[in-house]
Amino acid sequence: MNTNLKISNVTKIYPGCVANDNISLEFESGKIYALLGENGAGKSTLVKILSGVIMPDEGQIFLNNKVLKLKSPIDAKKNKIGMVFQHFNLFETLSVFENLIIDSNETRENLREKIQSIMKKYNFSIDLDIPVLNLSAGQKQKVEIIRCLIRSPDVLIMDEPTSVLTEQETIELFSSLKQFSEEGILIIYITHKLKEVMSICDEVAVMRKGQLVSVSKIINEKIETLANKMIGQNLKTIKKKISNEKSKEQLIKISNLNYSSEDPFETNLKKINFEVNRGECLGIAGISGNGQSELFQVLSGEIVSEKDSIIFNDNPIGNLNPQERREYLMAFSPEDRMEQAAIPQMKIFENVALNNFKSSNFFNNGLINEKKIKEHSQKILSDFSVNTDNVELKSQFLSGGNLQKLIIGRELITSPELLICFNPTWGLDVGAINYIHETLIKINEQKKSVILISTDTDELLKLSDKICVIYKGKLSKIMNANEVTPEKLGILMGGGEID
Amino acid sequence: MEYLWEEEKLIKIVKRDQPSRTIFFLTPVLAIFLTLVAGGLIFYILGFKPFESLKFFFIVPIADMYGFSELLLKATPLCLIAIGLSFCFKSNNWNIGAEGQLTFGAIVSGGVALLFYDQEGFYILPIVILAGAIGGMLYASIPAILKTYFNTNEILVSLMLVYVSKLILDYLVVGPWSNPEGFNFPETRQFSDSARLPLLVEGLRIHAGIFLALAAVVISWFIFDKTYLGFQMKVSGFSLKTAKYAGYKGKKMIILVFLISGACAGLAGVGEITGPIGQLHREVSPDYGFTAIIVAFLGRLNPVGIIFASLVVAITYLGAETAQIFMQIPKYTGQVFQGMILFFLLASDYLLFFKIKFIGSKK
Repeated sequence: MNTNLKISNVTKIYPGCVANDNISLEFESGKIYALLGENGAGKSTLVKILSGVIMPDEGQIFLNNKVLKLKSPIDAKKNKIGMVFQHFNLFETLSVFENLIIDSNETRENLREKIQSIMKKYNFSIDLDIPVLNLSAGQKQKVEIIRCLIRSPDVLIMDEPTSVLTEQETIELFSSLKQFSEEGILIIYITHKLKEVMSICDEVAVMRKGQLVSVSKIINEKIETLANKMIGQNLKTIKKKISNEKSKEQLIKISNLNYSSEDPFETNLKKINFEVNRGECLGIAGISGNGQSELFQVLSGEIVSEKDSIIFNDNPIGNLNPQERREYLMAFSPEDRMEQAAIPQMKIFENVALNNFKSSNFFNNGLINEKKIKEHSQKILSDFSVNTDNVELKSQFLSGGNLQKLIIGRELITSPELLICFNPTWGLDVGAINYIHETLIKINEQKKSVILISTDTDELLKLSDKICVIYKGKLSKIMNANEVTPEKLGILMGGGEID
Repeated sequence: MEYLWEEEKLIKIVKRDQPSRTIFFLTPVLAIFLTLVAGGLIFYILGFKPFESLKFFFIVPIADMYGFSELLLKATPLCLIAIGLSFCFKSNNWNIGAEGQLTFGAIVSGGVALLFYDQEGFYILPIVILAGAIGGMLYASIPAILKTYFNTNEILVSLMLVYVSKLILDYLVVGPWSNPEGFNFPETRQFSDSARLPLLVEGLRIHAGIFLALAAVVISWFIFDKTYLGFQMKVSGFSLKTAKYAGYKGKKMIILVFLISGACAGLAGVGEITGPIGQLHREVSPDYGFTAIIVAFLGRLNPVGIIFASLVVAITYLGAETAQIFMQIPKYTGQVFQGMILFFLLASDYLLFFKIKFIGSKK
């Protein structure tokens, strides 16, 4: 039986962002399709529409030429569309079998028989009666796949399936996917990993910033061409002037820094080495989830490491916490504005007090020096053109751009030697983005340094003096920004190699 | 957005852009009102006149001076413990074991008071009070240390320790500490007068412990609003990620809030045994430690709110007693009322984040 899935003129608009702009795609069974794109390209939105999690504002979906109205994930299941999410929906303390019977209408005996035959057919070996928490990530994923297969799906959607898998598990997954495909299941494979697309997919659709860029056969593509399509070449013409007479005075040196996490959804950092000189901006590119968050935490001191692994201004500081590192004139702007960098329920001046070091005198003898904090806050609001002068305002009433200005202002008003920022312009409007970019360039002009961890390649190419890429917790070699092309970055971000 | 009765769409529940501040303080009032309605209904089903029963429950007990002093007597430990718990709850530490910390505080301070049973002196009472606070802190430090260093769940540990402390108390009053002249009753000697909290009014049971509670209210307000320590606790409570980013020492903070909370519960225990009771026996607390959890939330973890909440909840203790005497209803009705308050409070909290819109049928 042939399955035909058609997406026709689908548009989904979120406040301030067009997630899917008039997307039309057609899929046929017997092939494996890749949906490729950077973070925020709109892949996930499209997949959520296909699996009934959200409804499109415009456009329709056709399954075998019949209109499909998916109001909820249950509708998707009824129409034999199966979905394996990147983060598993399993009850860790229940057994594999209990997890599978939860959303099944069959009797225990029938279901068990059915599962056994599926496992035999696809050569899965999982003990059905042990708790899910004892399974590896790859096995958990297989449980999710079995959950879909029980309903004999016509369409199987896999969202970033390899992000938690080991190499060996990835190979196993690929052979299963090929087998499913041969049996007539239509497979849609969402990823940003170029190598995977090249190795298992038949056709590839590339998305960028909510739009469909191209649909093509894999045999007509190369890693380089896909990288170009994924990242795009619409670079802003304003680029930072890279002067050749940079000081070679080293400010921070990271040597042989490792971090391994117990959480399987975190990325381990392996042998990180780099250095940043005064007045330089080091850009760290990469697709999100490759260890950026862990790297930021290690640099900020939220995760402490070996004393000598981080040398800042000739001081070993690897074992210091963020507050202690601030005393050495480091400043940090985390990715999550609302949940980490600031507390929306607290007032502006209280949020300013989060960046506290001894000379600021915000707290005297354990008491809050409200007057001092408020004066300081007032200065930040005016110096960094935040559109309010009321320090008593709760931060939740600031727009994203103004909140980010407040945060950057809070970090910079103390003239730190080094600012480490993580996706500083994520989700901001153009005006705010330009303001933040200009501010970052200004820091460099004042001979201060910046480490910019970002998933936005345009931003990195615009601001950095040197660029490297983080992939699966490892840093690529560090390149001069003027030698770097989007194509090279794309290859490295997708796990490829360049000379 | 979600719909009830999907086909007709009569009611639409819409998420609020931000929690409403008015509703934040109104929901406790709403919860109390709903509790009264539901309580009246229960009385009606049991065959009593609802209004009269509610009057017996909530008005008769505090109609005279004696009743009013009893109200303050019950509200004192509730307020004190709830203030302590607010430190834990504001920083997302779920200390459910205040009852155990109260009991252990009572044991330690009772033990000290027994050492001085045949002595008089102004110095005895302060030592006894201090011993109670230390006892409560020691007992609260167990779940705190297990949580910070071994990742145990403080809800389970603190709760289970309640029963351990009650059994220790039981063993002591039956065994080594039982009154040698007490004909084997499960109780200790009477404490000397120097180990007793002074009574405020002759003939009434209300004692100086109420000042401890009021002091705790003022101190907790001061710590939260004026000190760096309170600021750090507040930040840790809103977001541990932010606290970590700011460089606050999260583990120390956890242990500290447990210690404060344990000290308050321990003091409540001291207040009971050196106030109305005057000795140790099996029942030093009618579950004040558990009820104070309700008080803390009903008072919105706000010091002033907690004063009012402790008075409201204290009435349910008194009401249960009068209802038992006049209406022959078991005194556990009081716990039913306490349960209902918490239930309705949690239910009406839904309105903090969602508003209900009535819309006409589309058909």
